[in-house]
Amino acid sequence: MSPQAFFAKLWSSVEFKLILAWLAVVIVTVIADPGHTYFNNPGNSAELIIRNSVLLGFFALGAAVIIISGGIDLSSGSVIAMSATVFGSLLIALDPEGFRAGHLATWAVVVAFIGTLLSGAMVGTLHAWLITCVGLPPFIATLATLVGLRSFSRGLTLAMTNNKSQIDFPDLALRDALKDVTTVSIVFLVLAFSIWFLMSWTVIGRHLHAMGGNEQAARLSGIRTDRLKWLAYVIGSVTASMVGIVYFADTGSAKPDILARGYELNAIAASVIGGCSLQGGIGTIPGTILGCLFLRTVIDAVNKIVGSGADVYEGMIVGIVVVMAVTFSQRAGTARAQKFFATPIGWASIPVLSVLTGVSFMLFFRDKPWFGSAHAIVFGSLVGVILIVRGFIELRAKSRVTLQKT
Amino acid sequence: MSQNPIPSVSQSAAPVISIRSIGKQFNAVRALQNVSFDVQPGELHAVMGENGAGKSTLMKILSGVYSEYDGEIALHGHPVRFQSTRDAEDAGVSIIHQELNLVEQLSVAANIFLGREQKFALGVLNQSAMDRKAADLLRQLESNISPRALVSTLRIGDQQLVEIAKAISLNAEILIMDEPTSALTESEVARLYSVIDQLRKRGVTILYISHKMDEVFRLADRITVLRDGQFVQTVNRVDATPRSIAHLMVGRDVEPARRRDASLNAPVVLETKSLSLAWPNHSRGLRLKDINFQLHRGEILGFAGLMGAGRTELLECLFGASNPPPQGELIVQGQARTFAHPAEAMQAGIAMVTEDRKRLGLFAHMTVRENTTVCALPSCATAGVISRSREQNATASQIKALSIKTNGSEAMITSLSGGNQQKCIIGRCMLTNPSILLLDDPTRGVDIGAKAELYQLMEQLAADGVSIIVTSSELPELLTVRDRILVLCEGVITGEFSREEATEQRIMEAATHLQTSSDA
Repeated sequence: MSPQAFFAKLWSSVEFKLILAWLAVVIVTVIADPGHTYFNNPGNSAELIIRNSVLLGFFALGAAVIIISGGIDLSSGSVIAMSATVFGSLLIALDPEGFRAGHLATWAVVVAFIGTLLSGAMVGTLHAWLITCVGLPPFIATLATLVGLRSFSRGLTLAMTNNKSQIDFPDLALRDALKDVTTVSIVFLVLAFSIWFLMSWTVIGRHLHAMGGNEQAARLSGIRTDRLKWLAYVIGSVTASMVGIVYFADTGSAKPDILARGYELNAIAASVIGGCSLQGGIGTIPGTILGCLFLRTVIDAVNKIVGSGADVYEGMIVGIVVVMAVTFSQRAGTARAQKFFATPIGWASIPVLSVLTGVSFMLFFRDKPWFGSAHAIVFGSLVGVILIVRGFIELRAKSRVTLQKT
Repeated sequence: MSQNPIPSVSQSAAPVISIRSIGKQFNAVRALQNVSFDVQPGELHAVMGENGAGKSTLMKILSGVYSEYDGEIALHGHPVRFQSTRDAEDAGVSIIHQELNLVEQLSVAANIFLGREQKFALGVLNQSAMDRKAADLLRQLESNISPRALVSTLRIGDQQLVEIAKAISLNAEILIMDEPTSALTESEVARLYSVIDQLRKRGVTILYISHKMDEVFRLADRITVLRDGQFVQTVNRVDATPRSIAHLMVGRDVEPARRRDASLNAPVVLETKSLSLAWPNHSRGLRLKDINFQLHRGEILGFAGLMGAGRTELLECLFGASNPPPQGELIVQGQARTFAHPAEAMQAGIAMVTEDRKRLGLFAHMTVRENTTVCALPSCATAGVISRSREQNATASQIKALSIKTNGSEAMITSLSGGNQQKCIIGRCMLTNPSILLLDDPTRGVDIGAKAELYQLMEQLAADGVSIIVTSSELPELLTVRDRILVLCEGVITGEFSREEATEQRIMEAATHLQTSSDA
């Protein structure tokens, strides 16, 4: 491959763009963070981002495999909660003495670990059965388990703990080992490498891509699509189960009513940011990992810049990043200049965006000493003016073309 | 090549369309280059050329699908540049695409008036007015399609009439038809011809894209030939012969496929005994009924039949792809088999090229290499891990064997022309070393140059001992190369002809056998 071709390919890859965008976010944070945390304490900052990215990464890998194969899994947050509960319950059942004393027998931990992963595989099998044999759309099948498994986990917790609503992590030494960022990262890298190898270099991976792009053609090419779906959904649920155990250790208790609630959408978002297409067939594992890193870094940046209480805005950030990432990756494909604002709906959206940015500005910075509501109004109006100008520029570009026509 | 000074003919009237130095580039691929010709008012102007010659690209520019191109288009002498199909329709240019552009879930009338609905105050739809007008339009086309019928329930020929009715309702002055007969049966083609006659009486100018010599020579006033994105020549139909046009299209003489001596004494490789296929929730009850035939080693067996006669369903039964599975006996290489999945049929040495390339064949998001090796991937892999070099060798062998025109094995499949995509899919089958090859209408949407190559390829494979079953919607095609022809009509075999016995008329009689007897 010639150097030019190599750079052209590099430049057009999602991964490269994500690395550039990630660097930009890091640099902006170094400058804009009032505490200059990245500059003063790079080790801790890196550890925090890596931990969050890796935890998201586990089940985002599973989500990516399912999305590439043409499906969707809405249940991973509930599978995480279920796995934490199942792990705790198995420990209680297998070694009640050790559980109370805070020193678990090794065999009990190993069996509980295997049992939990098995429960994940069972959920994946259930999904595959609902989709291939019962014939439900993946959205409906996994919506059912999204709701159902969380409720199931709450019931299991009540039953195993004499009607308490959470299981506390019993063994401090085990907890420290499981939440250690180095150990978890190494396990993640091994898992990520395995899944990357599976998707990029094996017959199964190629068949998953093919099925995601055109399921009928894949079946008529002699590909056993039902078995592949089973594999994809099992990978999706088992990765969630693995990280469920880590979350259990990380938070110190399994609270099935709130643990990992809504995380499935973060995993889907990270895959999409990383270049997976929800139409199926398209996406990479490195892209998904970078998507996780980018998403968590942006969330961390907002935390640093806004300061305390910023975790409230995590959902807003995920929403904005997904919209922007997909918009830019779509635009790369089309040569035609896109009209964002020079249409009736476009004009109608300008006040919406102005109010949204103005109010968000107020919410973010209301505690700062320099803040006054005039700032928010000025900021919101400024955004409105910029968008109106952009709209008129688009309008002019359009009318030039029309002139040419006549 | 003799350079006739023909383009100077009939320049008396001002041209309705002037195409001036049109060029179009897709990334690195130059689809059109410096194409110029005129279309006279009221004429039927055929545009011919091989796959990838640029016919469809040019028509998409004319109808506003592509708005970025070099050069200029003038309507009645005024330069225009359409930004959308809507622009083109407003200027009186309508197109009927090869793949029809209808919303299948809506009614006929809703489709005809889509985007221009008749309404009362407050935007309430005036359903009855639209139904009435749609019925009027369809009556003008001598069709009795109900305006309330859902488009998805119509046959392809009727769907096409709906598109034509829509074009008439738009007062189209220029109608572009992109391979309109490629999915039609003979009787539907005849009806289309009479509709075209009517349109011409109204003074509509028609640009007609086709691969089929017989229809172009029957319909066209003038013929423009494109090759490799460039203008070759415009000729008067009366001055041309099919052979001379084929020569212009291909740039060389096309050899007719060479005959091979068929032998019915060869061993039977595939046999069906009273094969039937249920048709749930349908009054006929059975899609296929009591099918009995034998396929010999090295034989090419053709299946003729109208659309809906069960050709595709029969091949699906043989390939383990039918839903539900068929009843009756299927004997492959002397053993009774039931295939629950195409994978099992492939294990038994059967390969199939599907009819609807886009929907059932292509992986549009993948490269030529990935599309070609998908069926035979395990043979390019060790312990499930793919060897890129073995894969590339396998692809290269098929590119060479089938002369696939592609910018290498790493090009995206969608950058290839339809005929070359089809060849990739045939290559995909060949990599599994099949002993029985099922081809479902393989030359649909493929032009004569590529067709001739496909015929030769079939002959060559048959000579190597591969047994082939082929269906086609084009009778003349079935008549040229096959050893035997079986005719299906409403799921029943109604005729068997040897090559010597088969004539177009006899096959059509058999193909309409049940219909005529039930009408009588």
